[in-house]
Amino acid sequence: MTSDANPAGRSGAVRTMHLKENLAGLALVAAPLGLLLVLILLPTVSMVWNTFQVPVEGGTVTGIARYQAFFADSYSVANLRYTLIWTLISCVTALAISLGISLYLRFSEGRIATMIHALSLFPLFVPAIIISYALVRFLGPNGLLQLLLEQVGITGYRTPYLTPIGPFIGFVWENIPLPVLVITAGLSQVSDHAIEAARDLGAGAWRILFEILLPQVHRSLLIAFALIFLGVIGAYTVPYLLGPPAPEMMGVFMQRTLGNLQRPDEAQVQAVILMVLSSIVGGFYIATMLRGEVGRK
Amino acid sequence: MLNRRNFIISTAAMPLVLGTRAYAQDTRTLQVFIDGDTNISNWWNDIIKPAFEAANPGYTFNVTITRGVGDGNGTIAQRALAAMQSGTDPQVDYFEEYNPEDLEGSIEAGLWTAVSTDNVPNLSMINPAAIDIPVRLPYRGSQVLIAYDSAKVETAPRTFADIVAWAKANPGRFTYGRPDKGGSGSNFVIRAIHEGNGRDPSLFTRENFAQPQADEMLQKGWDILLDLHPYTFGEGTYPAGNTPALQLLAQGAVDMIPAWSDQAIQAINQGVLPETTKLVQLQDLALCGGFAYSSIPSNATDLDGALKLANFMLTPEMQTSCVREIGGFPGIDWSYLPAELKDEYIDVIPVSIPTFPSGDWQTAKNDGWYRVVATNIVRD
Amino acid sequence: MKARRKKLPVGGIAILLAMSLAMVGPILSVIIWAFAVKWRYPNLLPTEWGLKYWRIMLGRDTVIEPILTSLALTSVATTMAALICWPAAYAFARLQFPGRQLFLFSFIAANAVPKFALFVSIAVVFLNLNLVGTFWGVVVVQMLSAVLFMIWIPTAAFRSIPPALEEAGFDLGASHLRVFVMITLPQALPALAASYVLAFVSILFEVDSALLIGAPQITTMPLLLLSLSAQVIVQEAAVLCVMIWVPCFALLLLTRRFMSSKGIAQGFGA
Repeated sequence: MTSDANPAGRSGAVRTMHLKENLAGLALVAAPLGLLLVLILLPTVSMVWNTFQVPVEGGTVTGIARYQAFFADSYSVANLRYTLIWTLISCVTALAISLGISLYLRFSEGRIATMIHALSLFPLFVPAIIISYALVRFLGPNGLLQLLLEQVGITGYRTPYLTPIGPFIGFVWENIPLPVLVITAGLSQVSDHAIEAARDLGAGAWRILFEILLPQVHRSLLIAFALIFLGVIGAYTVPYLLGPPAPEMMGVFMQRTLGNLQRPDEAQVQAVILMVLSSIVGGFYIATMLRGEVGRK
Repeated sequence: MLNRRNFIISTAAMPLVLGTRAYAQDTRTLQVFIDGDTNISNWWNDIIKPAFEAANPGYTFNVTITRGVGDGNGTIAQRALAAMQSGTDPQVDYFEEYNPEDLEGSIEAGLWTAVSTDNVPNLSMINPAAIDIPVRLPYRGSQVLIAYDSAKVETAPRTFADIVAWAKANPGRFTYGRPDKGGSGSNFVIRAIHEGNGRDPSLFTRENFAQPQADEMLQKGWDILLDLHPYTFGEGTYPAGNTPALQLLAQGAVDMIPAWSDQAIQAINQGVLPETTKLVQLQDLALCGGFAYSSIPSNATDLDGALKLANFMLTPEMQTSCVREIGGFPGIDWSYLPAELKDEYIDVIPVSIPTFPSGDWQTAKNDGWYRVVATNIVRD
Repeated sequence: MKARRKKLPVGGIAILLAMSLAMVGPILSVIIWAFAVKWRYPNLLPTEWGLKYWRIMLGRDTVIEPILTSLALTSVATTMAALICWPAAYAFARLQFPGRQLFLFSFIAANAVPKFALFVSIAVVFLNLNLVGTFWGVVVVQMLSAVLFMIWIPTAAFRSIPPALEEAGFDLGASHLRVFVMITLPQALPALAASYVLAFVSILFEVDSALLIGAPQITTMPLLLLSLSAQVIVQEAAVLCVMIWVPCFALLLLTRRFMSSKGIAQGFGA
């Protein structure tokens, strides 16, 4: 960011340049921002505003009664808690698996590494509905996995289908590709020299992992975490088809509140709560990115 | 309800009138949205379409299938509401099945065409039990039966108590779908509520929903379902819809489920369910069924055409087709259908099916089930 | 890691086997279903194989048309999204202007909004523009699902290019455009390509707004797939999946090189 470095209040020429840069910047972002503004941001603002309008006799007043109602309802709160817990568990698991795969890819070459890389990207091409149905066929009662286990004499298989483990498996499955991409790339920036040097000093594999590799890729890990979190927290198809009836993930709960119970006002409150949670993680993503920017200057 | 005889006359005249008027025009295409299963969309495309075109020269329709995507027909209904508010073309003429009550405020906003014998003359023949609110048109019905694998279940259940007894003797081999995700589970839950309230469906009407009594009445159903809960598949993990429940039966993961008659019959014919699958209706009180309600937005691109289609669907010919092709229950009274049809199908299709009111009772039932039964909260 | 210098990569083979079971297992059951006529528990494999359902699916023109529609829609929408988002990403990375951070945040925040809550307002916009039921309407609404990848990745990728390189170009008297085309673009290209592929895939499988805006005139392949998935007959959906995966897998192999490049890491801001 060269231009950032200019302290304010230089000559007129610089100021004109600034003005030109401002205009150019705004002009370049105008098209996608306009699209976003009209289709998402403005409707969202009006939705959020609506959730603070509480009906009273003869009109509405601005207040937080709708939110109080949400948090006073133990069933809704249980759904929110369940959503957060399983989102976090899924994030951490997917992250750990992706880290393992990425570490292997960092230090390997050849056909096996290529195949592992291709396999880890494959879920990108499988939409949620298909993996849900495929997992029912595979992990479900009397599914392919149970058949395979029975072939080798293992009986007593208990299916994760319709338990919290079902959507958990679905989430982890869906969320391998992006973290692998991000972490692999982060690891590729760790120089072989640093690792060789540590090895020469007698550092073991774990010490190298914790003292050299992880500190270097912690930003990649945080970013991968944010990406998984944003994808899982509002998920609908996977928890709806693979999960238990209750508690419900917020995405499923919202859809049912709107479509089946016909309470759009409550659904909006749920949507805003979900949006706030996602925005916190989104903001933290931006902060991580901007911290990197400061670091580079 | 108006006098039936008048309308037999007007119905007889209909095809002729429509035929001559439409002849001079270019072909107009009505946009029909279907949220149902393949048996319904295939029936519309393969049987109804050619018949409608023949009876209404100058008209045809295009079927768009919305099932499985977000809120299905609900998404298109929201769009129609938006179109009405902005005075634009909604590009929809006819919802094969959509309950206007599912889009809050849409009825009050005047989104739906009220149907009556004035604009849909064949409504005169409708089964009186099917009429409730004017903005929806009951045109076919189906009922929920108990489907079971006769290779595993020795004696067919004849009463609700038989099902409970069998489920308890065979833990994990019975299940039903979540009540908000499909009618088969929903009507089973309703049957449990009926069971707890003296098996008297007349206790539940559209108008009599009132909070404290309603909770008490529903609680009697929850007690029965909570008792059953630990013995269902996965100890209370209910599949998310009609199809997931049928697939559990097809996979041999369970041996007994409630299922829609038409879906189950089709699945047996296609070899998806084993040949040993049998269907049975309870004898002490039948499981509820329901009517599928078509609805027509008042801002339909071609409102006249949509009303013609609605009227066409209530002709005895199409209603006969509904019985023969999809194993459905007719929307019009049996007395207007060929006598031999009734004799032929009397075993499969009952003369009447008990129903449960929509509106407040339905939402209270669905939400209550999630909060009490699915979370397994035993009160007191 | 330990397997690095050994001849037989035991660890690699173990990972590969575990991943094959986890990744390919569920997919394999779909592939088997596509060729099964009858498959019922407790048979490990179908008792009757055949192409029956392939013939049924290929015999319907309602199957081929959505596939072609989807390919055309996705290509156009992704390309248009690239045309408007990449310059914006460059601006976010290189230029100072008021509201820059707020705007960048809004692209991420937009992704956090549950879209179904906005259906009515989105529909109003498209209805007023007469875009409902049109190809271009779907293109515009689907560009939204590409914004995430098309802004995030390129912004960070442009940012990671050392400004000194560009400055050297300016010192030699090259114009902005020339510097951009000759220096900046080649550096950012792998990340841009990766963002294109990721956006392509997310548009390809988007359904909710495709239905909201496209129906009744435009039917995309995933809409068809969803309508088949929710059925008792498993095979029809399975056949369609296999039909889709063949080109997807080809795309994956073609673009794997970009995906593994450093560009994508920079792209996500790592």
